[in-house]
Amino acid sequence: MAEYKMESLKTFNYDRPVIEKGYANQTLCIDISDGVISIKPVTEKMKNVFIGGKGFDLWLLWNAVNSTTKWNDPENAICIASGPMGGTPVYPGSGKSIVTTISPLTGSVIDSNVGGYFGPYLKFSGFDALEVMGKTSKDIVIFIDGIDEKVQIFKASGLPDDSYTLSAILTEHFAKGRPRNISVVSTGPGAKNTRMGCLNFTWYDLKRKRARYKQAGRGGIGGVFADKGIKAIVARWDTVTTKTNNPANANTLKEVGRKHSREVVELDPKQNQMAQIGTTHLVTIMNDFDLLPTHNFQYGQHSEADNIGQEVFRRIFDPGYDGCWMGCTLACSHGVKDFVPLTGPYKGTKVFVDGPEYETIAGCGSNLGIFDPHTIIEMNFYCDTYGLDTISVGTSTAFAMECFEMGLINETHTHGMNLSFGNRLAALEVVHQMARGKGFGQIIGRGVRQMKIIFSRDYGADPDLMQDIGMEAKGLEFSEYMTKESLAQQGGYGLALKGPQHDEAWLIFLDMVHNFMPTFEQKAEALHWFPMFRTWFGLCGLCKLPWNDVIPEDNKDTPEPAKVMKHVEWYADYYTAVTGRQTTPDVLIRMSEAVYNFQRIFNLKMGFGQREHDNIPYRAVGPVKAVEYESRAERYDKQLVEKNNVDITGKTTEEKIALLREFREKLYEKLKDAVYKRRGWTNNGIPTVETVKRLGIDFPEVLELLRAYGVES
Amino acid sequence: MIKVNGEKHSWYEGMTIKDLLKDVNNSHLYAVIRINEKHISRPYFEKTLVPDNSEVFLIPMIAGG
Repeated sequence: MAEYKMESLKTFNYDRPVIEKGYANQTLCIDISDGVISIKPVTEKMKNVFIGGKGFDLWLLWNAVNSTTKWNDPENAICIASGPMGGTPVYPGSGKSIVTTISPLTGSVIDSNVGGYFGPYLKFSGFDALEVMGKTSKDIVIFIDGIDEKVQIFKASGLPDDSYTLSAILTEHFAKGRPRNISVVSTGPGAKNTRMGCLNFTWYDLKRKRARYKQAGRGGIGGVFADKGIKAIVARWDTVTTKTNNPANANTLKEVGRKHSREVVELDPKQNQMAQIGTTHLVTIMNDFDLLPTHNFQYGQHSEADNIGQEVFRRIFDPGYDGCWMGCTLACSHGVKDFVPLTGPYKGTKVFVDGPEYETIAGCGSNLGIFDPHTIIEMNFYCDTYGLDTISVGTSTAFAMECFEMGLINETHTHGMNLSFGNRLAALEVVHQMARGKGFGQIIGRGVRQMKIIFSRDYGADPDLMQDIGMEAKGLEFSEYMTKESLAQQGGYGLALKGPQHDEAWLIFLDMVHNFMPTFEQKAEALHWFPMFRTWFGLCGLCKLPWNDVIPEDNKDTPEPAKVMKHVEWYADYYTAVTGRQTTPDVLIRMSEAVYNFQRIFNLKMGFGQREHDNIPYRAVGPVKAVEYESRAERYDKQLVEKNNVDITGKTTEEKIALLREFREKLYEKLKDAVYKRRGWTNNGIPTVETVKRLGIDFPEVLELLRAYGVES
Repeated sequence: MIKVNGEKHSWYEGMTIKDLLKDVNNSHLYAVIRINEKHISRPYFEKTLVPDNSEVFLIPMIAGG
């Protein structure tokens, strides 16, 4: 165990409020520049308009920053909240937290959802949300102790940099013999030295007697955390029961919770088996449908995909209960026991690895041309402990590898590293370099958008080509799904508020495989309803997996099977049972609409949030290079002939690529028109005055902002 | 004899997944099925044989991350 010291700098005592119908009714604000700790009330208006979770985060952040705030300015805040249902142990998937801040990758507001105990423990300690602002040159640990009703700031020295050991030490340090009472939020050295740092949120695994963690991965939130000088934030809370959240109607809550829990227990073993294999089932399925990104999203399929599929991870995962929140019956947070890394500071040491999930397997595996599960697990381990987002690491490294193979960069630039696809040692070395802030890994760690600038400016690489193959939008790296054949999913990524992350709309299967939305209007409707309902989970402290990764057996006989309305109705009952506010599925969508539109306007405040910012690289839309076209020539030729009435006789591949591009790019712009109209936005992608009034977000500063962009009633 | 979603179902030599789905209502909704612990996707339904005594699960929908 490392020698470390914790010196108390500040202690703030408070009276913990009684939780009322899922709310503590106050938030905690900590300015670490001067150690000022304060409590802010949660008003009824806040609850009505913003609900909780991401809604509260956005409101607090909106008030903390101005339009010129950069990610590393002191006034940038990190906001963490669960939601009114967060911390319920009888309903599956009820322990999520949402984190927001101004992102170092996008320059605008980012949100990232995460499991672990922190959000619920924060609320039960008396705070619906936490905002941390300011900066300090010291390494500090913030301790929110809901049992002893105090908040403390410690100056820490001698603590390890990496999150794996740091989480374990701080859990033991604050536990007073009860480690399950502790949740630690921390990051690692990679966050300090890149733009793609993540936060690790712990939960305590009673069976394995260790702190484990989940990640708030997207958008570089870990970098903001590290830049502020925060080593960790720790919450302490006691035993959790259904009563802890003081629901309005405990009996109804138990009844609806039992129904959903029972369904998960009965049907998950027959369906995706997430309680055994997590999301790894997606690997081979995505591969079968040409949707698994390989070699920087060039292709969707690879002959070696089975090597990193669910049958392999079923054998590798350590069996046992893996719920990142108490009582979750889906319990999909699997891990690998006694893994021995072959590289890096833990080389030759047995460690426990949390993961991998599908995104990590695809991002750090197939997209890099790596089909070796052990390399993926090692990258997963080091990304987590270094505080790096596996999705941005994967997609950024994939871009660098393609640039290397195309000769846009060479070994002079990579400091001698052969960055060919499939080079497992190089991929691992990139991650270690990111943590050290050295070598070419440090360049990759700036993300795809910055790499495009650097490669063009300093190495003379073709900027247009890199624009086409660099898989970022709004500055955020794409998560790991191929979208070339799904226009709806192109919109799902391109029109997502924070950038191309699938948590807002995952429509590939519904669009491409099930063909549930053949018309533009249906696609636009899907790009309205699904982002709204998925947003709702983030307002309430919930995980979306129990909604549509376990499907009722009679769902196929319902009018809209994609929406899984039986579960949506249960969620409405759940919300009513906790908050006492009568609701229906339609009202849930309306709740999200207000927050969703507010976040779009927040983007506008930060200088983004218009039509041009919803553009995506052409690689997400169609084949960029001849080899891509020719690998699926039959498909593309057929589309040109049958859909676009093109006579392809005598045409070269390059000519056909250009024609296909013209057609597909037009379709994407047409999709934007349809979605903006459905969402109540102008043709430039800005919510209209009528829309903000309808949603109750017509605050004076919102209307003023809209006016500045020419949007008036 | 095989089991489909827990119910007994007749089996014959050479039965493919595509053949099996002819007996299922709204079979177009199933893009993935599981035979014992192995997932099979629609592109392979026609050429994948269903083994005797196997347990088949019809996966209703793939919903993603």
